[in-house]
Order: sequence, then C-alpha cells, then structure tokens
Amino acid sequence: MAEDIDALRERARRIRVQVIQMAGVSDTHAGGSLSLAEITAALYFRVLRWDPARPDWPDRDRVVLSKGHCVPAFYAAFAEAGVLGKDEPLEHLATDSRLPGHANRKTPGIDATTGSLGHGLSMAVGMALAARMDGRPWRTFVVLGDGEVQEGSCWEAAMAAAHYRLDSLVAIVDRNHYQAPGHIDTERVMAIEPLAAKWESFGWAACTVDGHDLPALVAALEALPFAPGKPSALVADTVKGKGVSFLEDAHAHYSRLNEAQTQAALKELGE
Amino acid sequence: MAKAYPDVLLDLARENPAVCAVSVDCGGHISGVAREFPDRAIEVGIAEQNAVGIAAGLALCGKVPFVHGMVPFITMRCFEQIRTDAAYQHLSVKIVGAYSGGLEQGPWGCTHHGVEDVALMRLIPGMTVVMPADAWETEQAMHAIAAADGPAYIQIRGGALPLAGERTFQLGKASVLREGRDVAILTYGPLVGEALRAAEILAAEGVEARVLNVHTVKPLDREAVLAAAAETRGLITLEEHTVVGGLGSAVAEVLAERPVAPLRRLGLQDVFATRTASRGDLLRTYGMAAEDAVKAARELLALDPK
Repeated sequence: MAEDIDALRERARRIRVQVIQMAGVSDTHAGGSLSLAEITAALYFRVLRWDPARPDWPDRDRVVLSKGHCVPAFYAAFAEAGVLGKDEPLEHLATDSRLPGHANRKTPGIDATTGSLGHGLSMAVGMALAARMDGRPWRTFVVLGDGEVQEGSCWEAAMAAAHYRLDSLVAIVDRNHYQAPGHIDTERVMAIEPLAAKWESFGWAACTVDGHDLPALVAALEALPFAPGKPSALVADTVKGKGVSFLEDAHAHYSRLNEAQTQAALKELGE
Repeated sequence: MAKAYPDVLLDLARENPAVCAVSVDCGGHISGVAREFPDRAIEVGIAEQNAVGIAAGLALCGKVPFVHGMVPFITMRCFEQIRTDAAYQHLSVKIVGAYSGGLEQGPWGCTHHGVEDVALMRLIPGMTVVMPADAWETEQAMHAIAAADGPAYIQIRGGALPLAGERTFQLGKASVLREGRDVAILTYGPLVGEALRAAEILAAEGVEARVLNVHTVKPLDREAVLAAAAETRGLITLEEHTVVGGLGSAVAEVLAERPVAPLRRLGLQDVFATRTASRGDLLRTYGMAAEDAVKAARELLALDPK
C-alpha cells in the first residue's frame, strides 16, 4: 500500500477518530495513541511491505509496538486496512475480544506481544538477526515510547543492534514528551535528552523529524537505512493527545471519555 | 563417556537448522555452534535481559534459541523477559543455566549461588524445568527439550554421577535409581549422588530407601510421588536449592492434596548460605548431605505408623 500524502492524512485522521471512539467505550491510552497517528499511517499505508489479506505472510516487514499500551492506534489502522472488522476496534478491552489493552499476538497483524516497557527492542533485534540468518529481505520496525527509553534494557538492545550492524532494523521513538504523570515533562521525571545523540553514541544512525509532518516522516522512512551497516533511529517529535485540544492540554495518558467529551473530540477531528 | 556440552549443542544445531545459540558471556558453551554455524551463534555480552528478548525475537521467526548464562543471573535478572516474552507467547526459548548452579560456587558467596532457579522457573505456566544429574543426563535432556514445543529451563552441572548405574531418561518421568519400601528420597541434579550414598548407609542399618531421580521438576511426575507416598513410610526431598518453591514444595503440593505419607524437605531452609565455605561444607552446614537424608529417614521411621 503506497498511498499519497493526502490519503495518508485522511488515514491519520481516521485513526484518531477511532481512538476517540475506543476512548468513548473503554479505558484507553488515548494520548500516546493519538501522538502515534501519523507514524502508524505512514507505516501501514506507505512504508511497510505487508499484505492485509495475509497478516502472517512470512516475508512481511515486522513491527514490534514496544509501547504496547498505545495499540489502539494500530487497531484503528488494522480496521482501516481490513485486517480487523470495520467496527471491531470498539471491542477494545471487551470480554473475549481479540483486542486486549496491550499489543498481543492474538490480534491479527500484531507481530509481538508487548505491554511491559523495555522489552520490544530486544525482540526486534532477534527478529532482525533471524532475517539475516535466513537471508530474507524483510525489515524490522520497532516503535518505542520516549519514557520507555528510561528502561536500561533498551540500551542493552541498542548496543547489540549496532554491534551486529543490523541495518534492517529501525527504531521509531514517539517523542511525545510526557509519560504517565501528565503534569510533568519527561525531562523532569528522568531526563532522556540528548536523545538522537544517545542513539548515535550507541552506534546507530539517527535523525529527528516532526512526527506529525507526513511528508517529512515519509521522506525519512523512505530513506532507510540512514547509513549502511547501522541500525536506524528516528526520533519523531510529537504532541501527546494530538488533534484533540483538551487531551493535548492535559497531556492525557489514560482516558475514558464521556459522551460529551467524545462528541467534542470527534467534532474537532472533523467528524 | 558423555559428550562435552558444546558438542551436544552442536549436534542439535546440525540436526535442526532452526536451533541457534545465544550467550551471555558464555562463549565456551556455544563454541561448537559458533565454529560451524557462525551466523547462528549470538554473543550478547553481559546482558541477560537482552539475551532473552533477542531469543524471543528469534523464536517469533521460527528459531529454537538456547540462551546460556550463569544460573542466578539468567533466571533472576531477566525473569520478566522469560515469563513475558518467552513463556506468555509460548515460544521455544530454551534457558540454559550454564554454570554457577546450586552451591557450586561455594566460597564466592551468595551472589553466585544458584539456589532459586527451580522455584522461579516452576512458577511460569508452560515452562518445562529439567535438572540433569550429570553430563550423560544433560545430553538426554537437551535433546528432549529441543524436541518439545515451548519454553524450557535446564541447569547443567556436568560431571559423571557415581553409583547411578544403568539409567534411562524420559522427560517428565522420574527414574527409580534404587527400589525400597521403607522411605523414599526424591532428588535431582548432583545431589542424586548424596541420595544414593544415604541409601547405602541406611541399607547397612536394614532400612531400604527408594531413590527417585526427579530430573524433570516441571511437569512433575505426580504418579511417582503418589506411589512413593503409598508404598513407603515417609518421603524426603533433597535438593541444592531453597525449600521454598523447589522440589520440596512441588512434592508438598501433591501430598497436601492427597496426604498419605509424612514428608521432610531438605534444602536451604529459607536462608542464604552465608558461610564462606566450599560447596561440600555448605551442603553439610545447611543440611543437604547424605547424612542429613539418613537422619530424616530415621525420624520418619520413628513416627507412629498410620
């Protein structure tokens, strides 16, 4: 699926609409899902080599959503792509549904079960090593939260990825500046800057883009790998709650929206 | 003469192209694979969490990784990766406690004692836990866990067990090393030798001790436990491990549901082995030697018959 920028903008908008609809029926990590909308749209509707009709195609590009609590953005993309039923995202957290609160392989399209932060990058390194062992061309993308990189295990994995020169591996950091306590900037909880320089010092090729600027995001993701022989890190500067003013203002982490809030949010999103 | 561990692993890699080796600074253990299949030997340095995460990623792509690290570190530092990345996804990740098992590292201190691994690994749903007694049993067990679906833990100690005689190995089935109907000693790993020695001492006193090698602690051979409980006057578990959560607990759980015989659990009694001493001294100090099993047997036999 190689859609143009206008189509990707509409995908990102539709992803946000569905995230809000999920937040209207269940507890949802809306803020960190909304910040992921363009990244998710760019991946699934432009950059990834995958086939929604065959989500388990062996040669697909792999995606590890290491910030697994923001899986609502992926559920929305999967519904858009037809991997899930059109209204299936509304079953988020519902009893016996395929859509639990964290990314899980019981959902078609999900390549790794996550939820505990700091685990995804290591699994992605293993996947990239497996592709190399088998001489296969597929790539591995891992989406991390910015607060998540406070976990030391991320940096063990970063070290190994550079050591093994895994240039088929791409880490995208959703740099939305807030973690669970929405009133304290990540830099005040535990500073992670200079973030791109950290990746570079671990032997990665890194670049920073505006994570809501689809032309810039697509250009970066189509320029992979950023340097031959090195894994690529894309720091995507984003806004937590992006697209819904009151969620942006609150840097909302957990959200359950009442009917009035849901309607107000949907209106802002052009529904 | 049993095969050296690196050759056992190499045999598995030759038999199954999906088998690969991950090392936490245990290069010697994976040296055979590294020599013949360099792409399938992954050294991660001193980074247990990353080792298990990488193994999970490999297994998600169809590989069967064996992850090697020191017993206390490869079971504790990365416990969550084992539980969540490997076991929750039911992946064929095989954790190998490559050295520093039990009290092997005696005077080096409790940082290096591997005496909680069985409890931790047994806690995880779907995990197979195997504690071979020597190099021969390690080779059998390695082939068995390589062929089995899902995650497994194995602690390897090497050596050659004296007195054990002709043996067979079947995953999940305790082997009877000595028949007896007075008491039963249930054990695994290198303490199998202590249990056999205890049985010899008891035999000289006219007491016939059954010795069960419970190499597979999970899934536990419940039938063998219940048979021993029904056919003897008391059970003793003997392990180089804390009594909390290990074989002693596993047997107690079975007997608590169907109490038919008294039980004594020998092992570290919920304490650290803090003496600076050799493994042998620590076994004697903390009650895991043959003489301790003998004493427990005498106590059981002195109890009023049911």
